[in-house]
Amino acid sequence: MIDHDTLLEVMALGEQRRAERRRFIQIAGTAVMAAGGAAMLSACGHDDDEYLPTPTPTPTPTSSIAQGDLDILNFALNLEYLESNYYVMAATGSGLNDTLRTGTGTQGALTGGRKVAFADATVASYAREIAADENQHVNFLRGQLGSAAVAMPAINIDGGATGAFTAAARSAGVVGPTGTFDPYASDDNWLLGGMLLSDVGVTAYKGSASAISSKVILDAAAGILAVEAYHSGLLRTLLYRRGVETPALRTNAELISNARDTLDGPLDLDQGITGTATTSNIVPADTNGIVFGRTPGQVLNIAYLNKAAVTSGGFFPAGVNGNVKSSAAN
Amino acid sequence: MTESVHLIEALDARVERRNERRNFFKAVVGTAAVGAGAFAFASAAQAQTVTDADVLNFALNLEYLEANFYYYAVFGTPIPATSTTGVGTPVLTTALPVNAGARAVVFTDPLVSQYAREIAADELAHVNFLRSALGAAAVAQPAIDVGITPTGAFSSAARAAGLIGAGTAAAPTFFDPYSTDENFLLGAFIFEDVGVTAYKGSAALLTNKTYIDAAAGILAAEAYHAAIIRTTLDQKGIATPSLRAATESISTARDSLDGTSDLDQGIAQTTTPIGLTSNIVPTNADALAFGRTAQQVLNIVYLNKAAVTLGGFFPAGVNGSIKTSANNA
Repeated sequence: MIDHDTLLEVMALGEQRRAERRRFIQIAGTAVMAAGGAAMLSACGHDDDEYLPTPTPTPTPTSSIAQGDLDILNFALNLEYLESNYYVMAATGSGLNDTLRTGTGTQGALTGGRKVAFADATVASYAREIAADENQHVNFLRGQLGSAAVAMPAINIDGGATGAFTAAARSAGVVGPTGTFDPYASDDNWLLGGMLLSDVGVTAYKGSASAISSKVILDAAAGILAVEAYHSGLLRTLLYRRGVETPALRTNAELISNARDTLDGPLDLDQGITGTATTSNIVPADTNGIVFGRTPGQVLNIAYLNKAAVTSGGFFPAGVNGNVKSSAAN
Repeated sequence: MTESVHLIEALDARVERRNERRNFFKAVVGTAAVGAGAFAFASAAQAQTVTDADVLNFALNLEYLEANFYYYAVFGTPIPATSTTGVGTPVLTTALPVNAGARAVVFTDPLVSQYAREIAADELAHVNFLRSALGAAAVAQPAIDVGITPTGAFSSAARAAGLIGAGTAAAPTFFDPYSTDENFLLGAFIFEDVGVTAYKGSAALLTNKTYIDAAAGILAAEAYHAAIIRTTLDQKGIATPSLRAATESISTARDSLDGTSDLDQGIAQTTTPIGLTSNIVPTNADALAFGRTAQQVLNIVYLNKAAVTLGGFFPAGVNGSIKTSANNA
């Protein structure tokens, strides 16, 4: 508990950092914007002579959110639970704070994971940044959902022989049929583990955007989509760069991509980072330069590591919470 | 150089502005619905005043700018003329003397060259996709300045950010984003985050589901691009810390243009309680990427904090119905 409480403080301070150094003027709570554009500005900043604390996002009355949008947000929250636990664990050695795990449905336990002993100081700095972002995504979505937020389901981020990462890596061929993939073992492994999760986050938000009915929620989701794409772009750029010295990184990124494509149906929605001899492929986009999207069912195929229509498995041993829980039948 | 003067004045005025901010809020809250309201999706009661075509055409102007910059950097030429036609008369970048210095970068780092090629292809694809989606309604390419002249857009922006000195009439300074890998990355940095904030700010304005889906996909692509540029600057910043500082200067200059809200961030590291932390992703306290209204985007590409219809990277303004920047003067 002490670790978790410390972590919460740490994350809060991390956010203060941005707020302070940026003289933040925040649009406080997207819900307010819907009520009237003129009232949306709420100043908070750190000036020479004043400091106004960052306002907590106003919890949106859940009754004001359409059921379809609630389902989409809760689906996204499940994914953020997974991502945040992975990144926060890797950066700090603890999972998501207990106070951010509660909600409707069955709350599950977090299995596995440990702090990465980063060898490269810049990679460590990226790990901390992404951890803070993902932690705030959980916090933000929970704030928007209010009492309708689902609890954190059981999550497996274990790096051992029976962990979800190893299962994914085996099916991808990153390790052999009896090999172990531990994303906490090295900088490079952490990058590969991150790539495995982050591209899925991007495609999930992209795939849901047009299904969101509320303009306010769409605006927020677009903001999260962009951040997930920045994260994914960061990880893929590093893998590509480090792939000059360690070609296996580019090969493994390709293998992960192929494995995801095997799971999510006949369409090729996924790409590694290798382009041509003269061109990189950091951005997984179609011929129009448009990044791919996945349906929730396809996202769950990957999260459950199963191409069939199932309700649990892989990173979510007891399934996700909420109304959207079945993977697609591929 | 009216634009440059405006930009520099804006930088000098930062402290004063901060002090006046409270008063500004009292004023702007009352007028926000007039100033930005035409483009603010905010109120459900407020009738939407822009069409999907308006929004897509606005985006197309930005893509023309981005695509031409990357095309010059990679191939030494502007985008194909066949991708510039539409409503109005297309202005070929080669027809503008200001673009004489735009040319292919002789990259020393093959990785940067490979990123540039990838991004150039994506940006042209965005131009062509938007033109296809808009059909006969697509606007033609407006006049675009991606050159290196002392009075041009890149030089004005770089001067305001302090990347180059003030210069004199006899020895004017200029910024050349085509001269080195690092300058190319800084030139790209000026664009990419703007593209992200533009699409983010526009997402909720669109009504057609197909367009929302496509715009979300382009938003993500722009964020990937921005991450490539920011990550590479950060990696090169290990050996050359001035690169990180330069991004902060550019960010500050941009923020002086687009209003009082701080919508922009450089990549400088900070020490937090959990250790040294990067800033690749520009986000608010909720870890959401920033959005800009179209008018704020125009403040930046026009390099002018006042309500104007042309300047900076668009010497004759953008084409389409959304063409006036916000009044942040």
